Amino acid sequence: MSDVLFLAWRYLAHNRVKTVVLVGSIMLIVYLPVALRVLVTQSATELTSRAEATPLLVGAKGSPLELALSSLYFSADTPELTTHAEASRIASTDYAQSIPLYVRFKARSQPIVGTTLDYFDFRGLRFADGRTMAMLGECVLGSRAAEILEADVGGSVVSSPESVFDIAGVYPLKMQVVGVLEPTFTADDEAVFVDLKTAWIVQGLVHGHQDMAAPEAAPGVLAREGDTIIANASVVQYTEITPDNIDSFHFHGSVDDYPISAVIAVPHDQKSGTILMGRYESPDEPMQILKPTTVIDDLLGTIFTVQNFVVAGMLLVGLAALAIASLVFILSLRLRQREIETMARIGGSKARVAGVLVTEIAVVIGMSVVMAAILTVLTARFAPAVVRVLLLQ
Amino acid sequence: MRLASSFALSFLIILAACGGSVPEPTSPLAEEAPDRLVVYTVNEPLAYFAERLRGDEVEVIFPAPADEDPAFWSPNAEAIAAYQQADLILLNGAGYAKWVERATLPSTKLVDTSAGFADRLLELSGAVTHSHGPEGEHEHQGWAFTTWLDPTLALEQARAVAAALEQRRPESAAMIQSNLAVLEADLTALDARLAAAADSIGDTPLVFSHPVYQYLIHRYQLNGLEVHWEPDVEPDGKMWSELEHIIDHDGAQWMLWEGAPVATTVAGLDDRGISSVVYSPCANVPTEGDWLTVMEANAVALESIAGLPADHAD
Repeated sequence: MSDVLFLAWRYLAHNRVKTVVLVGSIMLIVYLPVALRVLVTQSATELTSRAEATPLLVGAKGSPLELALSSLYFSADTPELTTHAEASRIASTDYAQSIPLYVRFKARSQPIVGTTLDYFDFRGLRFADGRTMAMLGECVLGSRAAEILEADVGGSVVSSPESVFDIAGVYPLKMQVVGVLEPTFTADDEAVFVDLKTAWIVQGLVHGHQDMAAPEAAPGVLAREGDTIIANASVVQYTEITPDNIDSFHFHGSVDDYPISAVIAVPHDQKSGTILMGRYESPDEPMQILKPTTVIDDLLGTIFTVQNFVVAGMLLVGLAALAIASLVFILSLRLRQREIETMARIGGSKARVAGVLVTEIAVVIGMSVVMAAILTVLTARFAPAVVRVLLLQ
Repeated sequence: MRLASSFALSFLIILAACGGSVPEPTSPLAEEAPDRLVVYTVNEPLAYFAERLRGDEVEVIFPAPADEDPAFWSPNAEAIAAYQQADLILLNGAGYAKWVERATLPSTKLVDTSAGFADRLLELSGAVTHSHGPEGEHEHQGWAFTTWLDPTLALEQARAVAAALEQRRPESAAMIQSNLAVLEADLTALDARLAAAADSIGDTPLVFSHPVYQYLIHRYQLNGLEVHWEPDVEPDGKMWSELEHIIDHDGAQWMLWEGAPVATTVAGLDDRGISSVVYSPCANVPTEGDWLTVMEANAVALESIAGLPADHAD
């Protein structure tokens, strides 16, 4: 038996290019569908785990997928905006904890997430360094955001304009980094967390400026009519919040009129959740409430359907490749006719010669499967990290 | 067969590798789970109400420095962090303690004790309207915030404090309600004393040294005239002129102060026929007694203006 194995091995070693091509082809035929399934399954796990950890989302009527992706992964376009009154409305029902989110602005490529401290408790976020934000203009960075923005506690990050062509827009806000979170391998790692009020400052809705009644603001005053002062564009609005100017930051009107992109509603129990959902059933209701799992399951259903097509395609390609490999083996037998005759003349029985040829094929297939299995194991091992990186990007 | 076994093995390995990859989130609050209910307040009246009402295992903290007016105090990040750790944060509302607006506090722990009487809040006059940029005209408007100077509003705030405490300590509800009844009686008695004094004072003009007495004036329909003087700062000539104009125009004979004015100011007022009386809003911890004893001393002051005997209420 060892002589058969030896001859088969020597043949494969001698024709190493052919062997490598065959092993590589068969390995890919086996590996690709399995790896695709592993990655898709892992993606589904990652997506659904975040959705499952978020009981209900409330936002303005529009695309449920945009609302879910924006609120869960801080990706996708900003959904239709609602107002903080919606968060107050949910809180006042006593059916659920209300966690408002305002996901709209960015610091370079990183999303700025305006929210409340309740979000940190809700997601179980822990601090690698520093503390939560305490005052206007402070921010907490997710672990990846800290790396990408190259900022640490004591440093600062600057908000980016929504459009580079918006020269009349709001000045960027320099925010002080007061905390960096431990990695969670979720979208939270990518975020720059700020208080909602700081997000409104980024938008220019809450602002600090010179006291318009003060003499030093006189150059910025166009006109005074009784108690009304009209300022020109030169009025100094602060682009960084410091202990010296923080007292000048102020709101105009009710906080409830200020925009947010979504509210995470955490019902106190299942019954409360059902009642809360019922409150949004009216056709005249301008808001939508959704279970993120439903939206993500729909999305995954689409992904799995596509995946099935891809796998089916791969199987067809695989079958074709196997047929070609078989052809290669058959043609190879023809080409090796003289070699086979030589083995017979030097005393090799038909069974022995056939054994050598079958062993060659078995070794090629065996090596392919083993390599495919190794790659599959590696894929499964690193799939969570790969998927997280892919999802986060 | 060998091929099938390899597939099965790799599939099992994949399943095993996929499982348990997502770390279970744990709430940082779960570790702490304090038994003691820590209540932070933004001023002394609320701290007093909470102290009077509190059930077992409740700690009331009002951290503003003794020499600061809590309405204008700006706590640093460490002080705000302490507020963030509280189980309950009692706010006065009506825009009191502007720092609250600029701080990040956990919304679920905030209780606005004046939210229940938002329709009774008094708007401040004299706000400057200005406009700049695309948002157009706006003004830095506000509300009078010394709400507790009207004992009926103080009682509403005490009820809001009681409700918040009961919600977090349902097992102490009976004790809190019992304490509330006693506090209610105290505040009602205070209101009756002030009302009787105000009745006797009638339309007699009273000069209030600081624009913080709006709710007192409104509640008892006092003929209140407000200036903006500080007890520890000697007024300048313009301020005296303003006061003399009030004296000439309204015939005021009494001036009510947040704290005892400096002797030179008292002498200057005496020369102009104005008597000084302290009516403390008691926003911060009093040097003697508690919030209620300060309010009772205020009632005595008002009774002295009214010419009522000091033990009128007794």
